[in-house]
Amino acid sequence: MRQTILQGLEQVYSNLVHMIAEFLPRFLVMLIIIVIGFLVAFGLKYILRALLGFTKLDRVSEEAGASRVLRMAHLPSMTELLSRSIFWVTWLGFILVGLSVLGVAGLQEQISRLFRFLPEVFVAILILFLGVVIANFLSRTALLAAVNAGHPSAKILSWSIRFAIWILAISMTLEELGLARQTVISAFSIIFGASMLGLAIAFGLGGQDLARKFLERYLGDTKKEKDKEPQPL
Amino acid sequence: MVEDTFLADDLLRQLMSVGEVDLLVGISSHNAASTISHAVHAIEQSFQQHFVRQRVVIVNVGSGDKSEDGVVATGFGNFVEKNVRLPRITSLRTIHRVTANFSGPPSPGIALRTILAAADLLRARACAVVSPATSNLTPDSIANLLRPVYREKFDFVAPLYTRHKYQGLLARNLLYPMSRAVFGCGIRELYSDEWGFSGRLAALCLNQDVWHEEAIRARPEAWMAISAISSDFRCCEAFLGEKSQAVKGPGTDIVEVLRQTVGTLFWCLETQQSLWLDCERSQPLPTFGPAHELTSEPTDLDRHRIFEMFRSGVTELEPILSSILDPETHSEIKSIVSLEEGKFRFKSDIWVRTLYDFAASYHHAVINRDHILQALTPLYRGMTFSFLVEHSDSSQAEMEAASEMLCVEFELQKPYLRERWKAKVEVKS
Repeated sequence: MRQTILQGLEQVYSNLVHMIAEFLPRFLVMLIIIVIGFLVAFGLKYILRALLGFTKLDRVSEEAGASRVLRMAHLPSMTELLSRSIFWVTWLGFILVGLSVLGVAGLQEQISRLFRFLPEVFVAILILFLGVVIANFLSRTALLAAVNAGHPSAKILSWSIRFAIWILAISMTLEELGLARQTVISAFSIIFGASMLGLAIAFGLGGQDLARKFLERYLGDTKKEKDKEPQPL
Repeated sequence: MVEDTFLADDLLRQLMSVGEVDLLVGISSHNAASTISHAVHAIEQSFQQHFVRQRVVIVNVGSGDKSEDGVVATGFGNFVEKNVRLPRITSLRTIHRVTANFSGPPSPGIALRTILAAADLLRARACAVVSPATSNLTPDSIANLLRPVYREKFDFVAPLYTRHKYQGLLARNLLYPMSRAVFGCGIRELYSDEWGFSGRLAALCLNQDVWHEEAIRARPEAWMAISAISSDFRCCEAFLGEKSQAVKGPGTDIVEVLRQTVGTLFWCLETQQSLWLDCERSQPLPTFGPAHELTSEPTDLDRHRIFEMFRSGVTELEPILSSILDPETHSEIKSIVSLEEGKFRFKSDIWVRTLYDFAASYHHAVINRDHILQALTPLYRGMTFSFLVEHSDSSQAEMEAASEMLCVEFELQKPYLRERWKAKVEVKS
């Protein structure tokens, strides 16, 4: 009896030693990969930051209104954001490769699934970001045009455009991620269709005067309207 | 030298057959079917009456569609028969005529570039650009543009006009005083349909790599004037008579005019910053003929609507204005917006700071540059309303005094522009 217990303990001990002997080198390899990944990611971050600084991306981003969106979301400048992103993406990739070296059962499958999903996540983020930038730019364009033409409800028009583009961008993002595809498409169709129908009814019934003025302004005698302001040149 | 690919073979052939000239007058005949014959007649008469012994040429730039331009249908049809002496001619020289046809309607920038290239190739000493749309173009007014260059050796001649006192308020309250303060040389009509220039200036402008720029394609005239000032060329002004009013086109749309004119001025500030940042001079221009005159016939201006558009514009565009204007300037504008219509005045110091803020924001591109220019429209309307109220009973002398005070205010606050221009972009959420 005593002999059996001792043999069992000896077996467990030898298995443990064997496992540690097998695990430790892998763990060390993982650590080395992570450290190398950190250095590579750090280097890439600085190279990208210098390249983007050279191409004056921040200025372009300012002009397109993207920087304003980033500031509103309390995010850093476009150059900083992209260089930080490349750092984290690279390092995360190395970390996942390092983890796969450990050979933990089931982890490798999860890691490879995550790798397959990453491009879709990035495309989804890009779509969302572009959607916000385009919505910002177009809504501002509409606001300026409407205000300068003396249209009432310029802000409503501007916000409608922003809202419509946001809905479109969010739908496309969810579609890209493959989340509740059918629900998203149905919801988008319902919201968009309902908005258009609502606008048509509202404009037809409630905005008869506005529609008349609108048509008069664009189809009627524009010279009389313009004569009410002095010639600028 | 002119690029090989720029001028068409047909135009080069015509220019080579002309040889060298003393005087050149360029016109852009696109969309001017009804007035082109009048313009050509005035130019020919001007040559016959004032420049009898000089070698002269008229260069017409138009689109290839002859029916649209009226090249064939009008008196300009004689253009195809080059180098023909006119009946009743008193000139001792042949009046040459050259036509540059483009497949599509040429932009003002392309038209000017063609005229400058022709002037350069023909070694013209004095040149003028006139618009067929100007209904009251006279032989004397064309001579007034050419004479200071040809006889007095000036390089740029800007026009002066008799105007209604409420006409040209953008020039009076923005373009003239700001360009005078910044570049140190005041040209009243920075944007006009007629101006004169020397062959030297034509060559200088032609060889600059700016012709692809949108600002130059749309309104190149101010850039040419500023190029003359910045290169220390001799500039002057000449009185041309009454200013004809634009009936249609971008001249009647305030937003479009602001985008083109203020856009080009800000673009010139950007491209010529090495010149004006350290410039302290301000010199008056010599004037030929009487100074500009003002008339005051009754007008049909809707002041209330102008004020309401200013007020609603400033309110609705608040987030955009907050990213363009300095916080102090913005709060001052917000405070005057709340005033009653009768008590409202756009003080000159706020107006100047507003414009300098816009110029600096354009330089730093805090938002899209076209949006910055459009956002100026309601503020310009506010200034216009204030001007209309303030000067409803003013005499010409009083208006001139007010204009001079505004120019001084622009000059006094130039350090503010320098400061904002050189400052780093402020992060605003």
